[in-house]
Amino acid sequence: MARKERRVGYGLPVVLAIGLHLGVLVLSLLHWPASEPEPSSASIVKATLVSTETATDQAQRAQEAQARAAEAQKQAEQDAKAKQAEEDAQAKAERQAREQAAKQQQAEAARQQQLEAIEKARQQAEEAAQRRAEEAEQAAQRQAAAEKQRKAEAEARRQAEAEKQRKAEEARKQQAEAEKQRKAEEARKQAEAEKQRKAEEARKQAEAEKQRKAEEARKQAEAEKQRKAEEARKQAEAEKKRKAEEAAERAAQAAKQAAQQALDQSIAGEEQAIANARQAAQAANGFKNLVKRAVEQAWIIPASASNQLRAVVHLTLLPTGELVDATIQKSSGDPTFDRSVLQAVERAAPFREMRDLPPSAQRQFRDFNLDFNPEDVR
Amino acid sequence: MNDSLSIPNLIMNASLVVQLVMLLLIVGSIASWVVIFQRSFVLSRAKKAHRAFEDRFWSGVDLNELYRETPPEQDVVGAEHIFRAGFREFNRLMPKTRSSQAILDGVQRAMRVAWSREEERLNQHLIFLATVASSSPYIGLFGTVWGIMGSFMGLSMAQQATLSTVAPWIAEALIATAMGLFAAIPAVIFYNRLSAQSNRILGQYEDFAEEFHSILHRNLQGRGDREAA
Repeated sequence: MARKERRVGYGLPVVLAIGLHLGVLVLSLLHWPASEPEPSSASIVKATLVSTETATDQAQRAQEAQARAAEAQKQAEQDAKAKQAEEDAQAKAERQAREQAAKQQQAEAARQQQLEAIEKARQQAEEAAQRRAEEAEQAAQRQAAAEKQRKAEAEARRQAEAEKQRKAEEARKQQAEAEKQRKAEEARKQAEAEKQRKAEEARKQAEAEKQRKAEEARKQAEAEKQRKAEEARKQAEAEKKRKAEEAAERAAQAAKQAAQQALDQSIAGEEQAIANARQAAQAANGFKNLVKRAVEQAWIIPASASNQLRAVVHLTLLPTGELVDATIQKSSGDPTFDRSVLQAVERAAPFREMRDLPPSAQRQFRDFNLDFNPEDVR
Repeated sequence: MNDSLSIPNLIMNASLVVQLVMLLLIVGSIASWVVIFQRSFVLSRAKKAHRAFEDRFWSGVDLNELYRETPPEQDVVGAEHIFRAGFREFNRLMPKTRSSQAILDGVQRAMRVAWSREEERLNQHLIFLATVASSSPYIGLFGTVWGIMGSFMGLSMAQQATLSTVAPWIAEALIATAMGLFAAIPAVIFYNRLSAQSNRILGQYEDFAEEFHSILHRNLQGRGDREAA
């Protein structure tokens, strides 16, 4: 009789059940050996703007102009004599204008030499300015040069007529021009530092205005000078000095006004230009991201593609955002991959947001490149 | 396919709800296997004991002797239990009544009670197997649905929806269903098998009870004839 084993406890069944589950677990572990987790990564099509015309073109131009101006300045500095002489002449002229005209006579010969040197330096500076300003300014500069020549002739004539007056006038002119140049230099430096096309334009305008005003001042001064030259023969030297001072003052005022105006204009222009540039940059960035995302979404990476493959596609777009042409600029070497890339671009194609871009940004996206790289996609 | 998709890895990386579902399913599976083993042992022993008892019963031994041989009431199971209940009732009723019909009724009632106890003992916990078998697929499915929901929520933040970004999450969610099926399939199979086994044993008990009843009836019939004569 099986009396002893009549009652069946739960101990053995529990052990058996747990053993069974452990066995299943061990089997599953044996079938799937533990492996290091794969580093997860995000896949990204790298879109780079490889347009020939960049958004910073204006800035580049301004930088180039600056570089040229710096070269011109260096040249001007190289003939240190001329500059020192100029400065000396300015200092002396100021002093003499302030003190007595009698001392001017003594410094006459030296000043004439200095004058010539100054003329040279100024012409060099003007040439540099012409180079900087390129197309638009050349005519104005030529006029200025012609006027300066005319002025020099007039001065020569006046020298023959009345040496003292002429010298005083020339000293004043030098002063005024030097001041003008100095202020124009400052304005130009500020404007150049901001590297804005509008600053450049403003400077051009300012220079043109300055020249115009300087011409006017000069003409007025000449008229006065001639009148005074006739009177001066009869009048005393004190009167001459006073009038010379007045003329100098007027010229200085005009120059100051011009410089101030130029500064204001350039500042306003800069602000606007900065705002425009920022807006354009934002829009361009947004558009670039958008194109990137759209193409990524549409891209079906072929199974055969390895991570080393890389293709650059050149896109040509209409201003409405429609795709005109997409060509492989740099092939990955795998035709299937290249085709998938082209298909992705075509599938993503009408980039309607192009219309929302400002025209300047639109221009730069008419032609651009997309860089495809399936790295880490899998 | 073999990177980072090992089953333990997937279980560890699953979300809390899915992990709870998996835990529940593991517990259910273990418990159902405990029941399966325990019931298998109980039924196989009951079968063996029944065969041994029947051999002994039909070996021509005197019933009183057999009754005295068996241990006290509470330890007896199976056909022995039925035999003892019926024979004890028979012995108690014999001196009290002359009506053989009343004796047979009492014996039959006692045996029915014993049989019903045996039925309860044999079918104990089988209902638990049925519950696991029917509910664990649904529990597993719930875990899967929850996991896939979470994976799609996560997917909405991903930049590119490739198969490789979706696959781990879905595999992780599907493990819950797999575990539900892992718990349910043995439970279904063994529930059917064990309940059939216990029904067969209970049927044998019934047969034995009928046979015993007919023996007692024959005895009473003989006695009634003698008394009448």
